[in-house]
Amino acid sequence: MISILAASGAEQGFFETFGVNWPFFIAQLINFILVLLVLKKFAFGPIQEILDKRRSRIADGEAKLEEIEQKLADSEKEKAALLEKANDDAKRLIGEAKVSATALSEKKSQEAVAQAQTILSKAQEAAKAERATMAAELKQEFGRLVVATTSQVTGKTLDARDQKRINEEAVSSLKN
Amino acid sequence: MPAAAAGGHQLPLYPESPFEGTFLSWISNSMIMVWIGAGLIILFCRAATKKMSIVPAGFQNFAEWLVESLYDFFANILGEHLVKRTFWFFGATFMLILTVNYLALIPGVGTIYREGADGHVIGFLRGGNADLNMTAAMSLTFFALWLFWSFTEIGTKNFFAHIFSPKGDFSGYMRLGMVVMFFLVGILEVLSIFIRPVALSFRLFGNIYGGEQTLEGLMALVPKWLAFLPALPFYFMELLVGLVQALVFTLLCAVFLKLMCDHGDEEHH
Repeated sequence: MISILAASGAEQGFFETFGVNWPFFIAQLINFILVLLVLKKFAFGPIQEILDKRRSRIADGEAKLEEIEQKLADSEKEKAALLEKANDDAKRLIGEAKVSATALSEKKSQEAVAQAQTILSKAQEAAKAERATMAAELKQEFGRLVVATTSQVTGKTLDARDQKRINEEAVSSLKN
Repeated sequence: MPAAAAGGHQLPLYPESPFEGTFLSWISNSMIMVWIGAGLIILFCRAATKKMSIVPAGFQNFAEWLVESLYDFFANILGEHLVKRTFWFFGATFMLILTVNYLALIPGVGTIYREGADGHVIGFLRGGNADLNMTAAMSLTFFALWLFWSFTEIGTKNFFAHIFSPKGDFSGYMRLGMVVMFFLVGILEVLSIFIRPVALSFRLFGNIYGGEQTLEGLMALVPKWLAFLPALPFYFMELLVGLVQALVFTLLCAVFLKLMCDHGDEEHH
């Protein structure tokens, strides 16, 4: 190539040697510029646009994914907190229920005891009253029997005053 | 099969018009290859972007993989802000250089020809980047865009300050000396800036033209019926060279831009 250059350069001018001339150069320049512009408009423009669009979609997707993950983590935390609170509440309620049940049971047993005592005392009073009634009836019957016996033994009819006196004496002897 | 083996002529340094002598004489054989390459890229891109969906499939999948890989590659060099602004240039230039380089390896390029008026042969097709007009058009377009992007990114003052102002913290006579020294370095920098498009053009042109010459030269070494054999391993090498040169061209452009816009880009971040 050097020999070709040397041989041709010696005889012709530099531009002539390499065939550089205005018509060819300008035509190639226009060709090149046209190719650049056409490719810019029809190739790189649309392809870069779609690449940018895809990049932004991926970035959006990533951002959304992060947001969702964050929300999920928040929701998990919230769920855990709620569960913990529910557990605490449940424990507290169970505790309260236990305390309340104990108190109620105590109260009920106290009431039952009181009621039993009331019934017992009422029964005792009733028995006492019945006994008193029976004693009174017995005294009355005893007096009547004593009067009747006295009347039969003495063979005379006793007046009301005698009957009352004998009766009282008999009863008083019972008391003793 | 390249022309050397077919007709014994050597691939010239310059492109020629297969339509010489007609009103289409402004169309060169390398220009036709660039059109074919550009057409293929545009068709591919149209097919890939015709029915775009968020979930890619088929052509769209491949096109997205290609564009995204290139985008990430240049983003590593230029940074997120600059690559957003300039990717259309780097992506398109890379794809065009690569496609045109590979198209130049298809049999028929340089071997289908006609005889010109003075008896010399004119190939109908020629590697698009084996034409200094094409490589110069690309590098000068980049140079113009580099100036525009640099001025708009860092401003006129910073642009010149980046080239001429002394770096480091100096005082007294040392500072004066540094001002003079950095001014002289700045002049060298300006020269290197102007040499960049020339270097870019010749690097790409030289590598592609050199590859084609190598293939043709190797084919000419053996009898015609065996011409494919010595060139065969070099076809694989040329596949690699085609990719590497597309990368080198765009990578250097990206680095030149980054070097100038570095401060501006940091400010954006």
